[in-house]
Amino acid sequence: MGSISSADQILLADLRRMLDVTDPPPGDLVQRVQFAIALENLDVEVARWERMDALSGVRGGGQGTITFTVSDLTVMINLTKVGQRHRIDGWLVPAGEYGVEVRVAEHGSTSTTADEGGRFVLDEVPCGTTQIVVTVGDVSCRRTVVTPTIVL
Amino acid sequence: MRSGADTVTDVETAEVDPPWEGLTGAELHAACMHAARAGDRQAMDRLVAELTPLVWHVARGNGLDRHTAEDVVQTVWLALFTHLESLHDPKALAAWLITTTRREARRPHGRKTPPLPLTDEFAESMPSTQPAPEDEALRADRDRRIWQAFTKLPQRCQELLRMTVLAGRSEYQLVADALRMPRGSVGPTRGRCLNNMRDLLSSEGGIR
Repeated sequence: MGSISSADQILLADLRRMLDVTDPPPGDLVQRVQFAIALENLDVEVARWERMDALSGVRGGGQGTITFTVSDLTVMINLTKVGQRHRIDGWLVPAGEYGVEVRVAEHGSTSTTADEGGRFVLDEVPCGTTQIVVTVGDVSCRRTVVTPTIVL
Repeated sequence: MRSGADTVTDVETAEVDPPWEGLTGAELHAACMHAARAGDRQAMDRLVAELTPLVWHVARGNGLDRHTAEDVVQTVWLALFTHLESLHDPKALAAWLITTTRREARRPHGRKTPPLPLTDEFAESMPSTQPAPEDEALRADRDRRIWQAFTKLPQRCQELLRMTVLAGRSEYQLVADALRMPRGSVGPTRGRCLNNMRDLLSSEGGIR
């Protein structure tokens, strides 16, 4: 493995300190991951957040449109802030009468079913670490799609 | 205390330590993975707490901005717990996480947002607005120059250095496996990366 010169050791120590100060994982990330995996059924597919649109306004701002995709499913949600809460207008493509659940850390969850056009509305969603769970398919072939958590 | 009639205490002491208590590194990962496969949530939470910094630094070392890195960290963990059975060697967990994070980081995310200018990103992550004593100011300045030099290194160097900085937490072999290097070449490669960084620092009239 070879020995490390003292100059290298000093620079590595500097680098360690600098990364700890400058680029640590966000303080709540571990908790958010733990919330994201606290699902009854962990046989899930993870939808990815498409960030083509300007989303910096969404994160923290609580308004705007977010699109998540996984294999053949797209989940679009539009957020509107109403007082201290949110209204979520969603659209599933391809459309189907699928179950939609919104989990908010420390606030339990709210469920609804999309209409045949794939649209759903969830009112009065509290602020906090939020995850959306969509149950796709029928009894013979049921899949669960989840999003990463977002902080609303 | 056990002989007493205090039932509350009895209940508390009856709670046994989890089987991974006192273990570290690959042994800890293997014990937690074993429990996680049996559905033990506490074991999963322990793994997440233990290895999230590693996943984070791999994501960041592969050029993701902080927001995208946050999503990727979550995606990787969800993928792990969805595919627990397919990971045959629990001791290879860290290597699996590194490989999966890199693959995820390199996906065309359909979101080619240009990276933040370095100075902005540094400012965003730097809690430096409070008036600092002289030493603090000097250190902050030094950190800023180290960060700027670091971000100019080739990505492979950045990733290698992030991983070795986590050392103690991530071991040599792990780094070598993840970067597909023979074990003996990790040290020399790291040495070249550090030299490269020193050149960048001194070319900016900086520190040695």
